[in-house]
Amino acid sequence: MNFTLNSMILLSIIMLVSPLLYNMLMPHKTTYFPTYCKNMIMMAFMTSLPPMIIFMLYGQESVITNWHWFSITTFNISMSFKLDFFSIIFIPIALYDAWSILEFSLWYMHSDIFIHKFFKYLVSFLLTMIILVSANNLFQLFIGWEGVGIMSFLLIGWWYGRTDANTAALQAIIYNRIGDIGFMLTMAWLMLNSNSWELQNIFSTNMDFIALLGLIIAATGKSAQFGLHPWLPSAMEGPTPVSALLHSSTMVVAGIFLLIRFHPMMENNQMILTTILCLGAMTTLFTAICAITQNDIKKIVAFSTSSQLGLMMVTVGLNQPHLAFLHICTHAFFKAMLFLCSGSIIHSLNDEQDIRKMGGLFLILPITSSALMTGSLALVGTPFLAGFYSKDSIIEAINTSYTNSWALMMTLIATSLTAIYSLRIIYYALLGNPRFSSISPINENNPNLINPIMRLAMGSIFAGFLVTMSIPPMTSITMTMPDMIKLSALLITLAGLAIGMELNSFTNKLMNSMKHTTNFSNMLGYFTYFTHRIYPLMNLYSGQRIATMLIDMNWYEKTGPKGQTNIHSSMSSLLTSTQKGLIKVYFMSFLISITLALMFASMSTNNF
Amino acid sequence: MVLIHDYLIEQIHLNIIIAFTIVLIGVLIYRSHLISTLLCLEGIILSLFILIVLLISHYHIFPTSIIPLVLLVFSACEAGIGLALLVTISYTYGNDFVQNLNLLQC
Repeated sequence: MNFTLNSMILLSIIMLVSPLLYNMLMPHKTTYFPTYCKNMIMMAFMTSLPPMIIFMLYGQESVITNWHWFSITTFNISMSFKLDFFSIIFIPIALYDAWSILEFSLWYMHSDIFIHKFFKYLVSFLLTMIILVSANNLFQLFIGWEGVGIMSFLLIGWWYGRTDANTAALQAIIYNRIGDIGFMLTMAWLMLNSNSWELQNIFSTNMDFIALLGLIIAATGKSAQFGLHPWLPSAMEGPTPVSALLHSSTMVVAGIFLLIRFHPMMENNQMILTTILCLGAMTTLFTAICAITQNDIKKIVAFSTSSQLGLMMVTVGLNQPHLAFLHICTHAFFKAMLFLCSGSIIHSLNDEQDIRKMGGLFLILPITSSALMTGSLALVGTPFLAGFYSKDSIIEAINTSYTNSWALMMTLIATSLTAIYSLRIIYYALLGNPRFSSISPINENNPNLINPIMRLAMGSIFAGFLVTMSIPPMTSITMTMPDMIKLSALLITLAGLAIGMELNSFTNKLMNSMKHTTNFSNMLGYFTYFTHRIYPLMNLYSGQRIATMLIDMNWYEKTGPKGQTNIHSSMSSLLTSTQKGLIKVYFMSFLISITLALMFASMSTNNF
Repeated sequence: MVLIHDYLIEQIHLNIIIAFTIVLIGVLIYRSHLISTLLCLEGIILSLFILIVLLISHYHIFPTSIIPLVLLVFSACEAGIGLALLVTISYTYGNDFVQNLNLLQC
């Protein structure tokens, strides 16, 4: 049993490496390479299922330490994989998503001549993500962390001829780097104070506030919490499979995953928990507000991801890491499916991404629209779909725990806004009369498109139930609460739906009374306009002031010749206005008075 | 060094002081040209220079023998400024007659 679990997980990881080796050794054989990648990922998924089943049946966890990498005096680093509750369940789910998305991108990127390079990038991204998730020491985790950042950069800038794509890729790298500073702070603190980067050793020490703050900064950067969030909506410049894999299911949950891994350190530190709670509440509300007036279908789904990440952060801040992990798993299914459905709509309308130019697709794209509605229902937490088991539990937990009531209010408002923007997508894209041009290549007959969407739809319906019933309960949930609290999530969502229907009919009747608030929400709260302009502008201003104004003009000119000229000419023009210029008279009076004074002085001494 | 008797050195000092006084009167009293003032200014400097050098070498107070050189340096600056003023006046009025200067112009 031990042998089976360890060897199958390692085999699953080796299966991820084999497409990369194939491309390295035989780079000219590219015809069947994409299909080969997809098949290998499917095999890797199948291979990683037995370990998950073993864990669910027997509770078997393991740590695999392979070889000793290097030592610096007493500090040892070795390559080790930690297969505990979190990583054993996450790896099959990530591989399932990746399988579906790779199959989808066989259809989506079909006309791209560099499709084999695209698949190579996706597979290397997946490899680094699995390394991140299964790492036992911080060094290996950092390798995975940086790896997903680099692959995100390469994949967002896939269409590098487009300026916006390059800017977005650069933005992603810079914001991630700022988060990495926090991560390195934690690593340095641990290297100094606990002499080990292995998770088992760290769990037996006490971590200071500074070190945990470093982890929070890392999560803020990688998981796009408020303050370092603008890169996530800009990352929609990449192709839809990239958005589905990286920026909805896998990469952006890396930050939350890090916090979940370190939850034993944060259990007793109430200040850290409150920081995480308030940060998550701020994020979820702000991004939900931004989502309700966006016009690009991918940006709405991106903000939805950001809002759900904030919700996961709130759950970690409530000291419920297992609920947050459950939400990561269920969220992966329906969010990836929402992205795949948007990709199907976009391709069918000849690459149209603006929801104001879609409409009436409900009967034309039946599979896509039913999957979109299923995914949206799962997202808002409809009872007994996938999202319900995680989201409803989170809302119950936050309602019945002793916490910050502001954070609670923000989270509840964001939950109702979730319903509003999900309804926005459905209303504008699927319902009503068509607003696109009549010649559109609307086609969803390709099995490469239908099968992934169906697979993920099955996942979003059943996965919540299956995972909840199979995992061992780690914390005790609150069993009794008043009726209103129990039904609060559902009631808030229904209220949000009602408000959403009302708001959507405003545009039909051209009521323009909400101009300023829609501007605030549509322009992302003006956050990007402030931070991306003002900080470089201040730097350039101060540089110009010091170089030109201070040194050149001030020290060389004003205190030198020009200043002297000004002082002297102003003084002399002040003085000469009192004189009359009678020089000979002045000299003569000087001579006479000097002579008289000398004579007077010599006579008074009585010495001649 | 030539030995000079005690009562003779005072006559030499008186001589130089009379020279100084004559040049001083020359600075203060002149008809119309400004340049004569500048010339007599140079004369003042010259007589003062000779007086100081004689005093230093007669009473053997050689540590202070840098003073005449400093005086010379400052006199050069002063002559330069005087000439610049002369050129400015000549540029504005065409001549250096001192009767021009009673108009209230800057």
